[in-house]
Amino acid sequence: MAKGIKDKVAIIGMGCTRFGERWDCGPEELMVEAFSEALSDSGVDREQIEMAWLGLFMQEQSAGKSGLPLSMSLRLPNIPVTRVENMCATGTEALRGAVYAVAAGACDVAMAVGVEKLKDTGYPGLPERSKGTFDDLWLPNATAPGAFAQLASAYQAKHKCDASDLKRAMAHVSVKSHANGVLNPKAHLRREITEEQAMNAPMIAAPLGLYDCCGVSDGAACAIVTSVEKAKEMGITDMVTVKAMQLAPSNGFEMSTTGWDGSYLETTRIAAGRAYQEAGIKNPDKELNMTEVHDCFSVTELVVMEDLGLCDEGQGINAVLDGKFDKDGQVPCQIDGGLKCFGHPIGASGLRMAYEIYLQLQGRAGERQLNSPTMGLTHNLGGHPFRNVASVSVFGLHAA
Amino acid sequence: MSYGILSFGAYVPALRLDRKAIFGAVGWAAPNLRALASGERTVANWDEDSITMAVEAGLDCLNDVSSTVDHVSMISTTFPFADRSNSGLIADALNLGTDVGTEDLAGSRRAATSGLSRALKTGASSSLLIASDCREAKPASAQEMSYGHGSGALLLGEGEPIAEFLGSASEHEDLVDQYRSTGADYDYSLEERWVREEGWLKIAPTAMANAATAANVKLSDIDHFVVHGAIGAMKGLAKTIKVDLSRFEDNLASACGDTGAAHPFLMLASSLEKASPGETIMLVGFGQGVDAVVIKTTSALVGMRAKKGLKKFMERRRSTENYTFYLSLRERLGLDFGLRAERDNRTALSAYYRKRRDINSMIGGRCSKCNALQYPLSIVCVSCGASGTQSEETLSTKLGRVKSFTEDWLAYTPSPPCIYGNVEFDGGANVMLEFTDFESGSVSVGDEVRLVYRVKDRDDKRDFHRYFWKPAPLISA
Repeated sequence: MAKGIKDKVAIIGMGCTRFGERWDCGPEELMVEAFSEALSDSGVDREQIEMAWLGLFMQEQSAGKSGLPLSMSLRLPNIPVTRVENMCATGTEALRGAVYAVAAGACDVAMAVGVEKLKDTGYPGLPERSKGTFDDLWLPNATAPGAFAQLASAYQAKHKCDASDLKRAMAHVSVKSHANGVLNPKAHLRREITEEQAMNAPMIAAPLGLYDCCGVSDGAACAIVTSVEKAKEMGITDMVTVKAMQLAPSNGFEMSTTGWDGSYLETTRIAAGRAYQEAGIKNPDKELNMTEVHDCFSVTELVVMEDLGLCDEGQGINAVLDGKFDKDGQVPCQIDGGLKCFGHPIGASGLRMAYEIYLQLQGRAGERQLNSPTMGLTHNLGGHPFRNVASVSVFGLHAA
Repeated sequence: MSYGILSFGAYVPALRLDRKAIFGAVGWAAPNLRALASGERTVANWDEDSITMAVEAGLDCLNDVSSTVDHVSMISTTFPFADRSNSGLIADALNLGTDVGTEDLAGSRRAATSGLSRALKTGASSSLLIASDCREAKPASAQEMSYGHGSGALLLGEGEPIAEFLGSASEHEDLVDQYRSTGADYDYSLEERWVREEGWLKIAPTAMANAATAANVKLSDIDHFVVHGAIGAMKGLAKTIKVDLSRFEDNLASACGDTGAAHPFLMLASSLEKASPGETIMLVGFGQGVDAVVIKTTSALVGMRAKKGLKKFMERRRSTENYTFYLSLRERLGLDFGLRAERDNRTALSAYYRKRRDINSMIGGRCSKCNALQYPLSIVCVSCGASGTQSEETLSTKLGRVKSFTEDWLAYTPSPPCIYGNVEFDGGANVMLEFTDFESGSVSVGDEVRLVYRVKDRDDKRDFHRYFWKPAPLISA
């Protein structure tokens, strides 16, 4: 009987670039920057890294859809490099590959790198993409904000809440993340905003205004992992281990049937349930000290709080407005500023979230350091509410 | 059981352009248009063309009709495709099966009456005739004022006709009152008085007299004349054939405009909505000659017409006084819609061919094991996981209900905002669809919607466009 991934693998080094409009950097510079920080953080030599996973979603950067961009940029000694993509869960998928390789005993030290160079596409938002030869024939030419805005309309209809209450709670989500981002030197947007600014911003896809949407940026992040035994041999204290890594892709239930009412994220609920079981978590809002969730849009974060069991269904508005997920709240969310302030270079985001949890657990988060956290969660939602890939991961101190 | 007209249908787009707005915008260049600047004209939305309007008229015509259709004719001077069966697409959209005959008829504004006359004389098979035209007009031209967009349909066959065929006659003369050469954008029109004197008042009376003779009725005994000419031509014609102008059907100039090859059927639909059983109607088509067709309504008309015809579509209006909006919708004005409008809309036609039933007829799958309806039809049932259990069921004629939606100001559409959302259908299916004909602020979760066949995307690089179904506001019958 498999026992899951809990406490088998330690993260021994992480790196993360400054996210933003990095006009002077390509994927190569970004990957090298993240890797250099992770390597010096890890205490291993580059020759000790035996396998690598590259998370890269959108473009055929440099040498195309393969492991080559990473191998070439870092001049790796011909070790296996696997490229993965799973929409916005891409970065987490790269980490999952590395973690599973170590857990399987296939290698002692593995690496995950996530990168995305979005600002060369020419688009201010995410670029237009084909949905495939069949889906292009019938699915609307939806944008990400338009797809997620529907969460708001369905949530509002289901819970019969006032549109202005929902809009105010959404504004609070963004105000909170901006306040957190100000303290983070690696964030793209480092400016406080007010609730009024958020509520009165130009409409992008009703009811999502400009400040309800995360930014678009360039960035890379990197993790180096090894087995708990090896980490102990290395004498690592404050060891951060993987408690759970779960993934749930849609199967068509949401978009093809009336069984889903559009007001929540089915796959997030499934992935969270499995992750809590794997990590042995029974009361998430009491056992988790922080979360980094997929706040591509403010309403997504609000709904995800319910789907992760951090507040009751239908209570998202109240919990958000009561400050439960603020920096000084019960379960701080996006303590690093989130996608809201980092932007969303797709392949990098999952690893960027893990980077913040890793720093916080080790007490290295500077001005934004929380009070002795022991367990944190990351969440990605790739695709649209009606068809997506959800990942939920839990990281904690080895002792926790 | 006898052969005749079994049903009729019509359609005009919801959008209406106030003619005063046209004059307000172009009157500085064409002050003579002031005389035409009253009333309004129908305007096809950006995603409508003669095919989509034909599907609407076809659905209206086939509504509540049990007879099978053996043959579909599309009649137009503005076929979207010069070499691709336009009527074949329509037959698919109407879900008529692959064994129906299809043909495209063109070449004249009287192509519809010519096709009708021939079909009625032959009386061979059950035929659906749909006339549809979407003529563009040069900005500041008289045609921009007088034209409209619309379609009309007639179903002929054995059964209980709403109107019987009495007789018809035709004259052909190469009087070039107007023409459009192959590939040209606009019609070129000649002097109206010449057309009236030499055309309407000399050629039409001959054909009309011959048709009356063929029908064995006196011209003066005919109850209604459906004549798609300008009011001047109709007045002159009434005087020439010595009948009162009140027997001439309204040419819809003030509220709709002249819909070209569709106009005889559109006006006939309007006439059939009001006519009493046992009345004779002479339908006249004009264009390098004249067709005249005489029919007689039956008692079946009254029961059949309750949910059909033009009136409900005329009453459903979305009026605009925004001339540049109209120009842009009809691709007469190239606005900068930004980077997202540059998307390459190439259609993988081999993929389309595999999925043509899903796309054209909006065929979903009904699982024989768990009864779940789903779109698109798939090999493995989304609800119970059974494999190969789904049978075809079309969603195109079902009402939908809005589950969630947004008004997206970022996504490209020629008519912002791009409204789309998840729509539920009775039986358990949910489909995410782009909406059409809704204005900003007019959609709510829970609203009922009907599906309409529309242009989904245009591929300007390859001069192709693809069609799909979209939720639109309900029409109150």
